[in-house]
Amino acid sequence: MSLLVRGGLLCVAGAVVGISGNAMSPRPARLGTPVHAAAESAGAACEDPRASVPRISVQEAKPLCIACSAAFVDARSAQEYAAGHITGAVHLVPGQPAGPLLPKLSAAPAVIVYDRDRDCAAADRVAVLLQSNGVRDVRVLTGAWPEWLARGGPGESGTCALCAAGGQ
Amino acid sequence: MMARALAVCRVALGALFIWAAVTKLPDMAAFAQDVANYRVIPAALVPLLAAAVVGIELLAGIALLTGVMERPASALLAVLLGSFTVLLVQALLRGIDLRCGCFGSDERASWWTVVRLVMLATAIAVARGPAPERTSVTNPA
Repeated sequence: MSLLVRGGLLCVAGAVVGISGNAMSPRPARLGTPVHAAAESAGAACEDPRASVPRISVQEAKPLCIACSAAFVDARSAQEYAAGHITGAVHLVPGQPAGPLLPKLSAAPAVIVYDRDRDCAAADRVAVLLQSNGVRDVRVLTGAWPEWLARGGPGESGTCALCAAGGQ
Repeated sequence: MMARALAVCRVALGALFIWAAVTKLPDMAAFAQDVANYRVIPAALVPLLAAAVVGIELLAGIALLTGVMERPASALLAVLLGSFTVLLVQALLRGIDLRCGCFGSDERASWWTVVRLVMLATAIAVARGPAPERTSVTNPA
């Protein structure tokens, strides 16, 4: 069998393995849903009129961050958080107990949750969790992390000291 | 001696590609977003292509590691690395700021990433498996 044929077979088998692996992934790529570049969807991301959690735009959230008049919650992975996040943001992912962070978040005038995805699914889940724990004025950041970066929002890197104290 | 060194190189490359695939599997949505950010692949094809790439990396890595179908695996990985390089270079030339999507990390795409891809492709080409021996059929008469 020629190298080309065997390479083609390996390619097809690999694609099948990849699609199966994707189905088993905790965060699969949705095969039937088009994925647009973050820059093309910036601004439009997360603007779901049916969303139960109120939205806030980057333009509105940026002054709140600079004035320290809102607490920010990063719902992306710990690795992404450590690489860079909104200045002062704490890290909380869906499924993680919010308990250790509740005193800080409950005391904030507003809490803004963000992730990195077009549909803000992780941010929505964390926001709902916070609401159910009695945190008032929770909002999800439209445009998510890509737009925050694109619009030059303040950021920092490193691990979450407050979260680590809570056992993360 | 040389053959042993090349075999070690193949095993290391196989392990590297398995690692590259395994680190992407926990967050395939993020990898699909990284692929979309190169702004070349049609949006509808991005999730399928991202899944396929991860599977090909995994299977070709296993092939290199085990020595089964190592030549087709080397050729496939060389094509894959070549495609990554072209995608990356066009993005950098267009001034697109993006994560490279390598090893499931947050690494920013840069010219260093291009150099690394070229080095990997070169290593694959050097360490490719031996060509199958051709048996000559002679007429016993």
